[in-house]
Amino acid sequence: MEEAKATLILEHVTKSFGEFTAVSDLSLQVRPGRVFGLIGPNGAGKTTTIRMIVNITVPDSGTIELFGQRMKTALQDRIGYLPEERGLYKKMKVGEQLRFFAELKDLRGDEANKRIDEWLERLELTAWKEKRTKELSKGMQQKVQFITAVIHDPDLVILDEPFSGLDPVNVDLMKETILEQKAKGKTIILSTHQMEIAEKLCDDVCMINRAHKVLDGKLRDIRRSFSRNAVALQFEGGDGLLNDPALVANIRQKGEDTEVLLVPGASPQTLLKRLVESGVNVSKFELVEPSLHDIFIEKVREAA
Amino acid sequence: MKKFLAVVKREYIQRVRTKFFVVATILGPVIMASFVVVPMLLASIQTGGPTRLAVVDESGKVYERFREALNRPRGEDEEETVKVSPAQAVNANQQDRMKQTAQARQPGFTVEQVSLDGKSIDQVRLQLGERVRKNELDGFVLIPKNILVDGKAEFYGRNTGDIFTRETVGDRLGNAVRDERLAQKNINQQDLRDANKRVTLTATKISEKGEEKVSGSGLAGFLVVFGFGFLIYMTVLLYGQMILGAVVEEKETRIAEILFSSIRSFPLMMGKLVGVALVALTQLSIWALAFATLTLVAAGRGLPVALPHIPAVIFLYLVLYFLLGFFIYATIYAVIGSMVTTTQEGAQLAMPVMAILAISLWSSLAVIRSPNSSLAFWGSMFPFSAPITMLVRIVTETPPLWQILLSLGIGISTIMGLVWLASRIYRVGMLMTGKKATIPEVWRWVRQA
Repeated sequence: MEEAKATLILEHVTKSFGEFTAVSDLSLQVRPGRVFGLIGPNGAGKTTTIRMIVNITVPDSGTIELFGQRMKTALQDRIGYLPEERGLYKKMKVGEQLRFFAELKDLRGDEANKRIDEWLERLELTAWKEKRTKELSKGMQQKVQFITAVIHDPDLVILDEPFSGLDPVNVDLMKETILEQKAKGKTIILSTHQMEIAEKLCDDVCMINRAHKVLDGKLRDIRRSFSRNAVALQFEGGDGLLNDPALVANIRQKGEDTEVLLVPGASPQTLLKRLVESGVNVSKFELVEPSLHDIFIEKVREAA
Repeated sequence: MKKFLAVVKREYIQRVRTKFFVVATILGPVIMASFVVVPMLLASIQTGGPTRLAVVDESGKVYERFREALNRPRGEDEEETVKVSPAQAVNANQQDRMKQTAQARQPGFTVEQVSLDGKSIDQVRLQLGERVRKNELDGFVLIPKNILVDGKAEFYGRNTGDIFTRETVGDRLGNAVRDERLAQKNINQQDLRDANKRVTLTATKISEKGEEKVSGSGLAGFLVVFGFGFLIYMTVLLYGQMILGAVVEEKETRIAEILFSSIRSFPLMMGKLVGVALVALTQLSIWALAFATLTLVAAGRGLPVALPHIPAVIFLYLVLYFLLGFFIYATIYAVIGSMVTTTQEGAQLAMPVMAILAISLWSSLAVIRSPNSSLAFWGSMFPFSAPITMLVRIVTETPPLWQILLSLGIGISTIMGLVWLASRIYRVGMLMTGKKATIPEVWRWVRQA
């Protein structure tokens, strides 16, 4: 597959604070129009990496290239950033607040007002426009904060833990909105440690742990490469059927599913055939791909 | 630049709209008025008609002169006031002005002579007391026989707390007695007045431009400078906290990170500083306007209002150095704000800063005596004392222009340097959230950012 020129390229980026190395020799590429997951445990170096991308700090060594140019202040206006540590001016009205942040991104005039109204509408906050920020619930404040990250229609949107503190309804609303941005051709970097969400939204992931990259690539490829040849089953009858060391390596009960790990090289088809032939009533037969969560845990353990 | 303006606008509008600002802006002149104008106005209120006074003159020699003296317009034949030192003058001025105001408004006296007519002095006193109680009289004066010798008399009145009346009565009786004593020694009135004529000293300043007439006492100029110094001090005290708050705010609310992803820290810091400074200037202008209005109103009501006359050039310097002083100290607050995590912490650190300002304010007393000494020179170059010291020098013995420009230049560079420093510390400090910074750490931040 021929790939478009990457939106963001990090090459051998290292950043230390005194003795502590926050990011070590990190290289990655974020391709346009895709959702890129930056995942890793707390303290792995995600936030430091993002801060370098948005030009809050500069790397000690290595290069960052954005939209084909070396990182510089002027490029900041083309990035939208939702930091992990949220902060809004408590006493400012929502509308004014958005206007201020828009102006900081060089968006002003009627265009700014129009977009503010559109976004408030989209995130169901129109009624709150004239309210002071401190009167808003935490979830609403977070949505306001999200608007500050996208109001200037940036080409690269960086979201650091965008779902923390949101109720399920708003989590869905936020997901939709992120996918809308993607559909508009925006490049999105999503930093999170919530694997289920990353799994659903991301096209590519980069996993970092203890300042080092441990894994990156297309999510689908990664999962495939971690495939353990397992099947999730739900069936009735047929006791002892699975006790065949030539086919089955391990069995464990996972909720209502019976997860069957096949011996390397064995085909799931063989198992299915045997089940059907034995007359067992099969209600679920599904090839299990390892979850990002499992891969994550495995990788973190490996490093420890 | 546009982003810088966005920051200025936000800081300004958000602060000017607060209740605190509105209340303080209104209360400021009210408090000012209650200290200065209200006493003057109150003292000038005419309560009723002239003071009705009965006089019992047992000596039989003083009444005529006393009556005359009481009804003589003030200002004539008064004792020369003792000259006071400049420092006292500030206060004395105020008191004098009030007294003058009150006296100018004194509606005068109606005097009636009461003779004993064979009654005892005690009887007469009781009778007169009764009339005072019935409000037929406001008071009476008993002049004993030997007043010319021992100079003692008695005043009875409904309101002995009315110090103005009491003092006037005392003064005029004193004059009457003195005149009578002198008359008895055959010294005539005119000779006495001639003898009392005071000496006036005209001051002429010798400067590079030649001789210049000094209007007024020269004290006025000093008072203006000292007043401006004090104004700088008060303004910094009032608004330094606000600067501190503005700088710490983003750290406390964690907004800094998003700001830094949009704007460089120098224009951000500068924007905050200018925004808050505009708030301060707005408030001060409103106050100045209110003060000017009150003064005009007071002057319109015929109250003696003495405003020092300031030449335009000096006024320009006053404004320039006021701004310089304000910004220099405001940036120190900004630097402090960038190092700390809470406003309270910052307030403690700011104490010694105010001490420097206070020292330079008081050392201006030394500078005024020798405005060309090396202390004065270096004081007017050192950015933290320049605003006040240079002003004193300009008013007393205007230094060459290059010195003024140099001190302004040093001041402005200092401001820029401090803002740069503050923005650097701020940026790195924000990223190291949570812990309080030590000085070596701050130094490392400065080099690292």
